[in-house]
Amino acid sequence: MTPEKPNRWRALRTTLTAVVVLVAYILAYRGSFVASDTPIDLRRLFSVELWSKGGPLLRDFLTPDLVDREIQPVTLQLPVPVPCGSAENGVPATTGPRLVPSVPCAAPRDKFRVEGFELQPDTELQLRWRLPSGQYFPGPFITTDADGHFSAEFEARPIVATKDGVPGQIEVELQVEVGAVKLSRAFFDVLDGVIVTIFMALIATAAAVVVAAPLSFLAAQNVTRRGRVGTAVYYLVRTVFNILRSFEAIVIATLFAFWVDFGPFAGVLALTVVTIASLGKLFSEAVEGIDPGPVEALTATGANRLQVVWFAIVPQIVPNFVSFIIYHWDINVRISTIIGYVGGGGIGYYLAQMINTGQDNKAGTAIWAIVLVVWAMDFISAEVRKRYT
Amino acid sequence: MLEVQHLHKVYPNGTRALTDVSFQVEDGEFLVVIGLSGSGKSTLLRCINRLIEPTQGKILWDGTDVTAASGAELRGIRRQIGMIFQQFNLVKRSSVLTNVLAGRLGYVGTAGSLAGVWSSADRASAVRALERVGLAEKAQSRADALSGGQQQRVAIARALMQNPKLILADEPVASLDPVLSHSILQYLEQLNREEKITVICSLHFLDLVHRYATRVIALKDGEVVFTGLPQEIDKARFKEIYGEDAIEVKAGLSA
Amino acid sequence: MPVTIPLASLILPGLGQLLSGRRARGLSILGLTLTLLGLIWWSLTPQDLSPETRPIPLKGDPANLYWLVVPVLIWAWNVWDAARPNVAPGWIPALLSTTMFFVIGWQVAEINPPVLASNIDRVMLIVRPMLRPDFIQPRAEEREGWVEIIVPCPTEAPAAADSSTGEITLTVDATCGAVGETLTVAAAGLTPDVPVELVWQSPIGDFFVLREADDPTRFRSEQPDAQGGLTTALVIPNAIPPGVDPTMPQEQRLYLRQSRPLGGWELSTNGGFILQGIYETIALALMATTLGTLGAFPFSFLAARNLMGGNAFTLVVYVVVRTILNIVRSIESLIIAIVFVVIIGLGPFAGMMAVTVHTIAALGKLFSEVIEGIDPGPIEAIRATGANWLQIVRYGVLPQVVPAFTAFTIYRWEINVRASTIIGVVGGGGIGFFLIQWINLSDYRAVSAAFLAILVVVQIMDFVSARLRERLA
Ligand SMILES: Nc1ncnc2c1ncn2[C@@H]1O[C@H](COP(=O)(O)OP(=O)(O)O)[C@@H](O)[C@H]1O
Ligand SMILES: [Mg+2]
Repeated sequence: MTPEKPNRWRALRTTLTAVVVLVAYILAYRGSFVASDTPIDLRRLFSVELWSKGGPLLRDFLTPDLVDREIQPVTLQLPVPVPCGSAENGVPATTGPRLVPSVPCAAPRDKFRVEGFELQPDTELQLRWRLPSGQYFPGPFITTDADGHFSAEFEARPIVATKDGVPGQIEVELQVEVGAVKLSRAFFDVLDGVIVTIFMALIATAAAVVVAAPLSFLAAQNVTRRGRVGTAVYYLVRTVFNILRSFEAIVIATLFAFWVDFGPFAGVLALTVVTIASLGKLFSEAVEGIDPGPVEALTATGANRLQVVWFAIVPQIVPNFVSFIIYHWDINVRISTIIGYVGGGGIGYYLAQMINTGQDNKAGTAIWAIVLVVWAMDFISAEVRKRYT
Repeated sequence: MLEVQHLHKVYPNGTRALTDVSFQVEDGEFLVVIGLSGSGKSTLLRCINRLIEPTQGKILWDGTDVTAASGAELRGIRRQIGMIFQQFNLVKRSSVLTNVLAGRLGYVGTAGSLAGVWSSADRASAVRALERVGLAEKAQSRADALSGGQQQRVAIARALMQNPKLILADEPVASLDPVLSHSILQYLEQLNREEKITVICSLHFLDLVHRYATRVIALKDGEVVFTGLPQEIDKARFKEIYGEDAIEVKAGLSA
Repeated sequence: MPVTIPLASLILPGLGQLLSGRRARGLSILGLTLTLLGLIWWSLTPQDLSPETRPIPLKGDPANLYWLVVPVLIWAWNVWDAARPNVAPGWIPALLSTTMFFVIGWQVAEINPPVLASNIDRVMLIVRPMLRPDFIQPRAEEREGWVEIIVPCPTEAPAAADSSTGEITLTVDATCGAVGETLTVAAAGLTPDVPVELVWQSPIGDFFVLREADDPTRFRSEQPDAQGGLTTALVIPNAIPPGVDPTMPQEQRLYLRQSRPLGGWELSTNGGFILQGIYETIALALMATTLGTLGAFPFSFLAARNLMGGNAFTLVVYVVVRTILNIVRSIESLIIAIVFVVIIGLGPFAGMMAVTVHTIAALGKLFSEVIEGIDPGPIEAIRATGANWLQIVRYGVLPQVVPAFTAFTIYRWEINVRASTIIGVVGGGGIGFFLIQWINLSDYRAVSAAFLAILVVVQIMDFVSARLRERLA
């Protein structure tokens, strides 16, 4: 055989590999390109259009809602009879926060201007009609300028017509902050969510340990893989671990949510299942990594299989197990932050609610809390593991 | 009495570790097994208490067929046979006392032992066994806090807890300094002489063989090439067993 | 032993231990006591419920006050421990606090094992369809015809209902009716001898397969005559969606569907979606891993202490970069995806960006640790030749780190494939996007097919990446 041959081979193989990789990339790029309305298009990341919309959203996410002040709603009202003459015209105040319409009364479908004076500066308000029935009919959102002034167009809809001599009124609701600064409601909600999440992870980890610890021995070559039955059990347990490990907890949580209804329990069950698989694998590797000497020695004394496991294997693996458990609790806190997103319960549920209702500040609070908790758990778990092993 | 008849061992990968090995050990003997590394010494010793399944052949221990035993009967045989290993095989993270008590496992119930409950008689005899190997004050230390020689003595104490009639020692001193080698072998010799415990011990150094053995068998490539008294191993025999290039080395400090 | 030590511990748990030099123990005791007290305070304060929050069972129950016994006992134990070091057994506080954590945790996480048994019928509902994954289906010719029916009747009766779509013609004896009324429908043009399914379409477009009146577990199936005609009666089902005024007349439809087997198999509609989802998932993971690795590369050098420790400025850069990497790394890619979905919109782009960002942070940290672990000898030698920073990196650092970087990248690819299978749950594209919709629609045959697809992909990717890493090692 000439020395060039393997060389040519290698060149061919390298070329082929390169072509395959290239094709994979083209397919990947095209795949995500064709498949949906928002294809992968990195240029969009730098577009003004994206950031004019996304920028404020991102800012909301980054500014958590932690403190607020007691708020008292104050309503400013002024009767504007529709049609004219159906009731007495309202007389706008001349000082203080007030609403001033451009006409004292209006015909149905008339448009007129409403001005506001001496309101809170730079705040968003909603202009609306208070109907004679007591219900209200929403109008445009307006933003006051630095002097607390606004001017907006408003329409007298037929629905606001005077009824039984009671006229419709134009109104705005002012949020007047009174009292001292205090921790916001979002803060307490997030705190609740975080505590529930930590407990979910705690219970799930503990339950998983109880199941995974004995199972891991069945999935360890050096303990179980003996005889035909042993080998079958070994492969069975291993395969189950492997299959379960292929699914993320959040997917399994959706199934459990159907079984036991939405709530932290569904999340805990899902977490338990994936933790069993993951810890089971780690544990069984620890069991496989032990020094076989003591096992041999105790077998030689006439001890039975259980006694050998308990006296020769368990003492060797306890430190590893403890370190894996703590590590996994840490991971589980991280996973349960999102598991609530589908399974309900904990901070993930709160986050989902806030995202779905567009309260991005509060969602931001939740995200910051998650970062903090995960970080703290990471730190504590690293410290404990360092100390213990 | 131990009788080994036509023992064969072929490992699953095809290695013939033992070929037609037969010999007898009378009660009270100190039999030493010698041979190059890879000659099958460990395999032979482990076949005797069935830590390794022999492929063919028979082993009779006081008339019972070890090779036919299984389950509780096998464990019953094993508990009469203590074993000592080159790497001591202690549970390093457990205390010395727990390691010694583990020697009783063949005698006590599963539930009690798993719960860590030991009878006071067992505890007392564990302390006695430790006293015997001079380590009573180390009972509460962790096993890995002990030196190699001390660990091997703990292993002897563990074997003693079995009230063995036979002790198998697989190169018990190969990981130890020469001085410690003698101290360990002297413990075995003492048990052999005073308690009439039969000892089967594999060894590397010829001077140790001469000093402790009452009888010697030599293995080469899994076959018995010599059976006889230690004195009979002269230069020629030595070359025969260990090959032409071998040079005799002493463990040193011959007593 | 001076009396001040236990006294200090009496005043503040752990203080005595701290003073006598047992720092770790003192801090643990203090931390534990504060945690327990905090937990009790939290459990006692009532929850301020809003529509968006879930009630937490034990919150605000005054009985939680009894838990105070635990910190009090631990406090007492701590004084004992301060007075007689190494005598007081450590399992006492451990057991006490563990018990408290688990009992409270049990209530807070709403653990309720009996539900598993009492809801077992729901499992059966899932399991049966899951045993028949919806990926391929027997090839068949689908035919359908429909007719419009107004429910309930408006004041003016609508024109005669006679609808023919293609060859199937449907005639109903009434063009409108109220829920519960009986209609008679006559059809012509059906394929003879192929059973007909009756399907009702609600005003918002949902389909309901009509069931047998006497056995609601069975779908209705009618047999047309040899000429392809069929006349049958049916009761107008209640298909008015919740929240819609039931007195308002709405257009609903009756469909007759036939499916004639042609022999052989074909990809089902959902099977097609699964292929598309898997394709997207793999594409997304590939792009994210590539971009993430490229992105992590520069950061890793900035986050390596041995390269950045030189002067105050680089040290500041190091600290800032490292902190950012650590923060981002600790956020699950799913949560990052939530943010990106809000900003960019639904689809694989948002998912890919999220996985990319997470990859940059995670790999950046791992890479920087590799860099920190390299042999400083060659760097020193190259620095001695008068090379600048970039040259040092190119000739002293890169050759040392490339193998480890490659191994970590492959490992990350494995993680990213898994992450990409679920990123769609929050709208980030890939198979997860379809999966979560099928779960919401309770289409468990499709769910099961998606599960199998995920299993296959993850196992193959695991295998490939394990092989690759083996090769490299
Ligand atoms: N578990 C095993 N599987 C396969 N071959 C083995 C195994 N254990 C030992 N051997 C082989 O059996 C032969 C005898 O080994 P051993 O009994 O350990 O010899 P010794 O103890 O004399 O060094 C050697 O060739 C060794 O390689
Ligand atoms: Mg050997």
